[in-house]
Amino acid sequence: MKNTLSIALKELSGYFKSPKAYIVLMIAISVFNVFFFMIIEQNREASLRDIFKLMEFIFVFIIPILTMEIFAEEKRSGTIEFLLTSPVSSAAIVLGKYLGSLGFVSILIAITAVYYGILEYFGSPDRLAILTGYIGIYLEGAFFVAIGILTSSWTKNQIIAAITSYMIIFSLYFSITFVRQLEEGGAAVEIIKYLSVWNHSERFFTGLLDISSLVYFFTGIGLCLFLTRINIENRS
Amino acid sequence: MISTKNVSKFYGSTQVLKDISFEIVQGEIVGFLGPNGAGKTTLMRILTTYLQPTSGKVIIADCDISQNSFAARQNLGYLPENLPLYLDMTVKDYLKFAGKLKNIPYRPLTTRIDQVLEECALHDVKNMPIANLSKGYKQRVGIAQAIIHNPKVLILDEPTNGLDPQQILQVRKLIKGLEHKRTVILSTHILSEIEQIAQRVLIINKGKIVADDSLNNLLKGSQNLEDIFLNLTNDNPVNIA
Repeated sequence: MKNTLSIALKELSGYFKSPKAYIVLMIAISVFNVFFFMIIEQNREASLRDIFKLMEFIFVFIIPILTMEIFAEEKRSGTIEFLLTSPVSSAAIVLGKYLGSLGFVSILIAITAVYYGILEYFGSPDRLAILTGYIGIYLEGAFFVAIGILTSSWTKNQIIAAITSYMIIFSLYFSITFVRQLEEGGAAVEIIKYLSVWNHSERFFTGLLDISSLVYFFTGIGLCLFLTRINIENRS
Repeated sequence: MISTKNVSKFYGSTQVLKDISFEIVQGEIVGFLGPNGAGKTTLMRILTTYLQPTSGKVIIADCDISQNSFAARQNLGYLPENLPLYLDMTVKDYLKFAGKLKNIPYRPLTTRIDQVLEECALHDVKNMPIANLSKGYKQRVGIAQAIIHNPKVLILDEPTNGLDPQQILQVRKLIKGLEHKRTVILSTHILSEIEQIAQRVLIINKGKIVADDSLNNLLKGSQNLEDIFLNLTNDNPVNIA
């Protein structure tokens, strides 16, 4: 557990040693700010629903950039040999790295709490819907980070890791649009709908705390981390 | 301290190690010699638990690595051929991170880092990012992370590779200074290095041990180590006068 924490802290502080973290934070927050005021002005509604939608859309693009180096860079530079020959379990390594990246995403999400403050000051927002919205966006970010870590453990090349996680996250995010026009499609369509992240996050943003969506996110995260661990252990 | 029994390793259908068995007792410094591609690095990776052998048994400091890999790793310091350094960290931060991963409690760690900085002559650069260091310094940082937890066994893969003569001398002196305290295995293809540091030599060729003897015994005949090496690792033995 102590080792997991050391790895997580190293990972998180590592982000702030390169300009990448600042660029990502700056771009994300600028986009959020601009859209927050545009959305509020247009909707005249004390709600963060559209902001959450925007956040998930931005996450689709920035999370693969944040996670691409996690294992790929360790493999390329050889530091993976140092990690794996230390008396630390591979589960602790995967979990530590995951928590480190998740920490960065948490900072990004925490900054948007300012918008809630503004809403609370000028209006009376639906607090419950904002709470479930935050749970939804956090779980979605956590899921994307887990996907990014998994793809990063497949290759030595950061670019390939990023592109692969884009492909997975894109198809999870947009898959529902492929079947939206179909009125009846049977089991296949239902499965595609269930796999779509959009379908689940939408429920949280409208104030629903749905068990099947919670199961979806937790299973997804658990599966990705489990597969990452297997990847790290199987080296021949 | 270290023992292997019939260790074999296949990559797909190619066999890179064939029935490797040897024993190394405490305090010995053993040199692994062999041409490139002989399987030295693979063998070291197996000894350090980074790779699993296809078959065979490895015991490090009384721990079977397939059953008690954690305890084995706790007693093991390893310097891989590609230096495992995080370039964006400072020397001190890196050693602190290495110490934490190797389960050194917080208070002793601070004093231990000072000792290791002293031992590896790194005090001048302790607050510099590793990326800015010269190859010789980087190599010593690599050795520092390997010895930080006072391991019983130290495994060094080509520790003097790519250094200038001055740096080679420093690193050799450092390794020589570890004698008696620890069991050391080092691989190299610089023969004079083995003669200066090691007490015992294991020559590996095409995945097999072709010689395992103390340096004195090997050099008893009038041959020098270079002739022995060439003779044992060449498919068409040279005629030694």
